[in-house]
Amino acid sequence: MTVATDIARSDRQGASLGLGAILTALCLALACLAPLGLNGYGLYVLTLTEIFAIVALGLNLLTGYAGQISLCHAAFFGVGAYATAILTQKGGVSFLLSLVIGAVFTAVIGALAAVPAMRLKNLYLAIATLGLGVILQKIIFEWRSLTNGGGGFALPAPNIAGFDLGATGLYYLTLVFLILGLWGAWNVSRGRTGRALLIIKESEVAASSLGIPSARYKIAAFAISAFYAAIAGGLFAYLVRYINPESFNVGLSIAFLSMVVIGGLGTIGGSIVGAVFYVVVPELLRGIKDAPGLVFGLLLVIVMVLMPQGLWGLVRHVARRA
Amino acid sequence: MIANLIVGGIAAGCLYAMVGIAIVIVLKITDIANFAQGEMAMVTTFFAYWLLDSVGLSWWQAVPIAMLFGLVQGVIIQQVVIRPLIGGPVLSAIIATLGLNIVLNSLAGLIWGHQTYTFPSPFTFSAPFMIGSVPVSVDSVVNIASGLAIVIGMTLFLRFTWAGLGLRAASQNPTVARLMGVSISRSSAIAWGLGGLIGGIAGILVAPSLFLDTNLMASLLIKAFAGGVLGGLNSLFGVFLGCLALGVAENLVGAYLSPSFGEAITFIVIIAVLIVRPEGIFGRVRVRKA
Repeated sequence: MTVATDIARSDRQGASLGLGAILTALCLALACLAPLGLNGYGLYVLTLTEIFAIVALGLNLLTGYAGQISLCHAAFFGVGAYATAILTQKGGVSFLLSLVIGAVFTAVIGALAAVPAMRLKNLYLAIATLGLGVILQKIIFEWRSLTNGGGGFALPAPNIAGFDLGATGLYYLTLVFLILGLWGAWNVSRGRTGRALLIIKESEVAASSLGIPSARYKIAAFAISAFYAAIAGGLFAYLVRYINPESFNVGLSIAFLSMVVIGGLGTIGGSIVGAVFYVVVPELLRGIKDAPGLVFGLLLVIVMVLMPQGLWGLVRHVARRA
Repeated sequence: MIANLIVGGIAAGCLYAMVGIAIVIVLKITDIANFAQGEMAMVTTFFAYWLLDSVGLSWWQAVPIAMLFGLVQGVIIQQVVIRPLIGGPVLSAIIATLGLNIVLNSLAGLIWGHQTYTFPSPFTFSAPFMIGSVPVSVDSVVNIASGLAIVIGMTLFLRFTWAGLGLRAASQNPTVARLMGVSISRSSAIAWGLGGLIGGIAGILVAPSLFLDTNLMASLLIKAFAGGVLGGLNSLFGVFLGCLALGVAENLVGAYLSPSFGEAITFIVIIAVLIVRPEGIFGRVRVRKA
C-alpha cells in the first residue's frame, strides 16, 4: 500500500518542486558560506556532519529503500578509511584516486555481504551483518604489517596535485562529495532501481512475480551503500588524521542506523537531517552539565514517539500545509 | 581441560540465555527488539547493590526486592515509552529503545558515577563441586540452575496459565486475540515486566564475576542476540540452546583455535549456520504469503 501511495504522491510533489528548489539552493549557499563564520572546531564538526551524511545517504538506499538492515556499515567506513590511508601512505597513490579505489574495493566487499541477505531477514540479517562487521574489524586489527593494528595509523594533511588542503579545503571537498552523493542517491531512488528496491522491501514474492531479479538488486544496493560508506571513510581518515580499528565498532554502525531512522527511512533529505541531528545536537548539549547523554537519549525517544516517520516526515508535513 | 572449558561455556551461555529469553519474550509479543534490555538489567543490578550496600539488607532479602523492581521498571517503560509506538514502524520503536539505552546508561552514571564496584555473591567462596574429576564452581552451578529454572518456568507459564495463553495468542494474531477478549496492551505490559525481571536476574548473577559498572551488560546484550538468532527466535528452548552453544563455542575457539580471532570465528560459524538455516537451528520456517 505504501508504495502505491508513494508513487501516487510523487505527482503532487512535483508541484512543490519550486519550493524544494529554493530550499535546496538556500541550504547550498549556506553550506558554501559556512566556513567564513566558523572557528576551526565548528568547521571540524560541520565536516564530520557532511561525512556522516554521506554514509547515511548510502545506508538509506539499503535500509530505507530496499528494507535490508545493516550493522556492518562502520566496518565498511573503516575499510574505506584504511584503504585510502594505506594507498596514499604506503602505495604513493594520489588522494582522490585512492579514495575511489578504496571505495570500489569496499563495494566488492559490500556485494559479498549481500550473500547472507539472500536468505536472511530482519533480526537475523542484523546479527549476520553485525558478525561481518566484527570480522572485518578484527582483520584490520590483526593485519599489523599493513595497518599497524591497535597502534593506529597517523596521517599527514591531505594533498591534491601538490597543494596541501587545509581544514577549509577538506570541508569544500567533502561538500562536493556530498553533493555528488545526493545527486547519485536522487537518481538511484527516482529511477528503475529505486522502484525495484521499494517493491523488494514491500514483498519479495511480488517483486519476483513482476520479473524483478531481487537477488541482483539486493547485491547492487549493498555494493552502492558500501561505496558511499567507503568514500566517507576515506574523507574521515584525513579529517581526523589518526585512525584506529577500535573506532569502527558496532556502536558506530548502530549510530549510522539511528541517523537514517531519525531522519526518515526512504527519504533523501532525511539522511542529511538525521546526520545533522546525530552530530550537532550532542555538540550543542555539551554545555549542559553532567547530562548530555541523558538529554540526547530522551530527545531520541521523544522524536521516535512523536514522529515515527522521522524528522523529515515532519518537514514534509509542514511543507504540505504551507 | 576440555571439560572445564565446556562447563565454563555452559555457565556463560546460561547468562546469555537469560538475557536472550528476556529479549525474545518482548520480541514475540511486541515485535520490538529491545536494545534497552541490557541497560534495564544494569539499573536493576545497581538497585540491588544499593539495597545491599546502603540499606544493609542481606543478599537473600535484596535480590527478591530487586527482581520486583525489574518487573515494575519493565511495566513502567512499556506504559510510558513503548505503548505510543505500538502499530508504528518497527524500526522506529527499535531506535526508541536505543535512545532508552542511552538514557538509562547516563542516568545510572549520574546516580552511581562511572567507577567500578564489586558486587557480592553468597556463592563465591564455597568449595567447588566435583563432577567426576571436573571441578565445577558453585557460581557456575547457580548460573546453570537459574538458566534452566527460567527456561522451564517460562515455558510452563506460557503453556499452562491463562496469562501465558493470552501472551501466545497476542503474539500469533493480535486482531483475533483481541476479539477473544485478550487485552493486547496488558499482554505487552506483562511481556515487558517479565523481560525486566529475567534480565535483572541475569545482571545480578553476572555482576560478581565481572565488575559492576554502567557498561556491565553491553557485551552480554550482543551475545544474547547472537545466541538467540543462532538457536532460532521462535522457541524459548531454541534460544536457550543457541546461547549455550555460543558460550561453549566461544570458550573452545578461544582456547584451541585462536585467542585473538575467537570472536570473529564465532561469528563466522553463526553466519555459516544462518546461511544454511535462515531461521536458526531450532527455528521453524514460517511460510510467508505476503
